[in-house]
Amino acid sequence: MTDESGNLSIDFLVGFTIFMLAFIWVTSMVPGMLIGLKSNTIDYDAVAYRTGVILVEDPGWPVSPPWESYSDGQKDEITRFGFAVSKGSPNIISEDKINRFFCSSFIYPDDYHSRAIFGDYNYFFNISVMDVERNQTRSVGDVLPDGYGYIRRLAKIKGLSNTTIGQSQIEKHHYNNTENVTTHEFSVVINNTKLLGDITDPAYQIDPARDTIIINLTDLRSTIKNVTPSPSTIEVKSDTVAITLSSIKVYRWDSGVLSMVRLYDKPYIDGRNIPDTPPVSNIKDNVSLIINPRVFDIMQAGYSQLYINFTFNVQPQSNPLSGCTFLNNTNNLKATPLGSFSYDYFPDNVTQPRLRDAVVEVAVW
Amino acid sequence: MVKDGGQLYTIEGVAAGLIMLMTAYLVVGATSVYTPGDAHINDMQLEILGSDALKMLDTPQNYTDSKSPLQQIVETDDGSRFWLMFNNTVNNRTGSIPDHIHFTANYSYRMTADNSINSSFINASRNLTGGEHAVRVTKWVIVNKKLPGSATFQDRAVLVEVLLWRD
Repeated sequence: MTDESGNLSIDFLVGFTIFMLAFIWVTSMVPGMLIGLKSNTIDYDAVAYRTGVILVEDPGWPVSPPWESYSDGQKDEITRFGFAVSKGSPNIISEDKINRFFCSSFIYPDDYHSRAIFGDYNYFFNISVMDVERNQTRSVGDVLPDGYGYIRRLAKIKGLSNTTIGQSQIEKHHYNNTENVTTHEFSVVINNTKLLGDITDPAYQIDPARDTIIINLTDLRSTIKNVTPSPSTIEVKSDTVAITLSSIKVYRWDSGVLSMVRLYDKPYIDGRNIPDTPPVSNIKDNVSLIINPRVFDIMQAGYSQLYINFTFNVQPQSNPLSGCTFLNNTNNLKATPLGSFSYDYFPDNVTQPRLRDAVVEVAVW
Repeated sequence: MVKDGGQLYTIEGVAAGLIMLMTAYLVVGATSVYTPGDAHINDMQLEILGSDALKMLDTPQNYTDSKSPLQQIVETDDGSRFWLMFNNTVNNRTGSIPDHIHFTANYSYRMTADNSINSSFINASRNLTGGEHAVRVTKWVIVNKKLPGSATFQDRAVLVEVLLWRD
């Protein structure tokens, strides 16, 4: 008779096989579970990278007029944030866009998630931008936890162009008129076609349809000078003269025709934070215009030549007999160049856009 | 007569052996998945930083500047300026604590006489010992320079190459 000791029974073999198959299946599941845990950090880094690229290399959407010029009431029309001045100039980011991105009208996290982070998962995040030259850091988001996905991008902030027409400019160009009039007109010309043609690199271009431009008229009272006081006339003291900004008219020059297209109604007077609507009386010394790109879009003047004419009323009237002058360049043969002040690439006239170092950091968890 | 005590009978033994082999194979194969999936994330971040830094150094501040800082550095062999600018740029963070990235930089150009490649050292924040896990970033720059010194001034393309690593 055959000795059966040491043999495996069919029952045992079947049981062992089932056990081993189950064991293999469970074992093969374990790495998958670990990958699932690990992939979160990979995902966070990927999302942070994607957001960094969107912010630094993309101008956002809409592009024209740029999203940053949209008011709080129109913010639903903004579909994507982006800091780049144009899609052709990555890492050159716009000061206007950064200012708008960090303004209080956007609410964390919803407004930012849908326009910069994207995705269905409700990520927490923190986005910060540092202006190295000004040592100014702005950020939006939560406090960073211990572990998070991260990206750091280096960029240049394109500063805003601006012009300050003060006493030196006024005397240099003979903008102080001595005509016997009470109404004085000072004109600034913005030739968009020339601005876009003279410099084509968006990093250095003055493009009023994309970037805010700033015009400051200062030292208004200093232009009231007693140039030829005569013993036969009463000398006018500059501090007794009442200056009124009657209006700011915008004219467009198209095909040889000059037509008024609108009244500009948001000048900042004497450094006040809220704009006034002309006529504004009792101006002490300065008038500033901070012209949003949307203004050019509304006028469809992105490629036009615009004249911005400031009309001042001065009482008592200025005239040579009373020895008084005031800012005026529209009817003054002495003015150099003759006529309007040009907002252009001449550094003596306009402070040009300048690039400043910046750091953009995105953390996602 | 041969005793069969202690033996496995053919089919059962072979089946059990195959199952165990398959198990071992699957388990060993499965463990290889444990290789960290994010091992190259740090390299990628460092590479992006280095590329951005070189790009920023190669961007003039104003349109009136005809040459970028990087062009000026290569043309004048101003290694200390490179150290200052690159070190500040690449280690800047939005917080108060700067990063601690080290680098070594040089540029290469083609020798027109024999088509060989010549390299010149620019500067380094620390000597490379060989143990560092460094990433490499490059930027082509056009410079007006005598390359080599015995040649005449002319526009030449040079490849600026930077190795970056963290402690």
